[in-house]
Amino acid sequence: MTYWGLNAFFLAAAVIVGAVALGVHLRRRRESNRLRNVSWIIAVAILLTMTAVFDNVMIGIGLVGYDASKISGVFVGIAPLEDFSYSVAALILLPSLWVLLPSRSRDRSNATTPTPEDSR
Amino acid sequence: MGVLYLLGLLIALTGMVVLDRRFQLFFWRDWRRAVVILPVGLAFFLAWDLLGIRQGIFFRGETSFMTGLQVARELPVEEPFFLALLCYLTMNLLAGLPLLVAAVDGRRGDERRGDERRRDERRGDERRRSGEDPGPRDARLGSSAKGTPR
Repeated sequence: MTYWGLNAFFLAAAVIVGAVALGVHLRRRRESNRLRNVSWIIAVAILLTMTAVFDNVMIGIGLVGYDASKISGVFVGIAPLEDFSYSVAALILLPSLWVLLPSRSRDRSNATTPTPEDSR
Repeated sequence: MGVLYLLGLLIALTGMVVLDRRFQLFFWRDWRRAVVILPVGLAFFLAWDLLGIRQGIFFRGETSFMTGLQVARELPVEEPFFLALLCYLTMNLLAGLPLLVAAVDGRRGDERRGDERRRDERRGDERRRSGEDPGPRDARLGSSAKGTPR
């Protein structure tokens, strides 16, 4: 199995959970989404940039090695592109779980009005 | 030397906890969800790692930066800490960025509103000077008393 073959399995799992969460999120959509969208883009950019930097450092100092015959050969610096799948999966799976799990504030107040906890 | 990587990860994780606590990003925002999400994320990525190792795709590097302790074959003790950091960082970033963007946006909005207020005040002064605006009430009364000789 290649590195992409392995990642496809886990990315698919994250995408399925993500699709369900997106459906739930859109149904209880709040008013302003521009702030959310801008924040999302910046957060994704930061995490992928950090992945590129630290993955290169980690491979550079020899924390991890790869079987050259099982990776695609596409690199960001010396980091295999496949490694970014971990960050992409984290960005999809974890916030999706946050959306899907029952929220603390829902039973206490209306879910559509942001609570002070949300805006802080 | 062998604890350097682990130490770095622990310092970074401490930073995540400090930020979480200060800005209420993950556990301090809703610990009931966080205590589920972090272990689930950790298990998900550990399974990914273990399958990758079993398939011989990647393996532990021989380096003096790691303790050399392994929790499974080719899986260094440092890896769960790294994966926990990845999860914690992801959630802190996604929760923190809206606060940061809103703060920057709000400050810019305040400046804009401040400019408008100043401009309105200036415009009011000009209107009063040029006679368009009747100006304060007592001045108007005074001028009408003088201006209409009836």
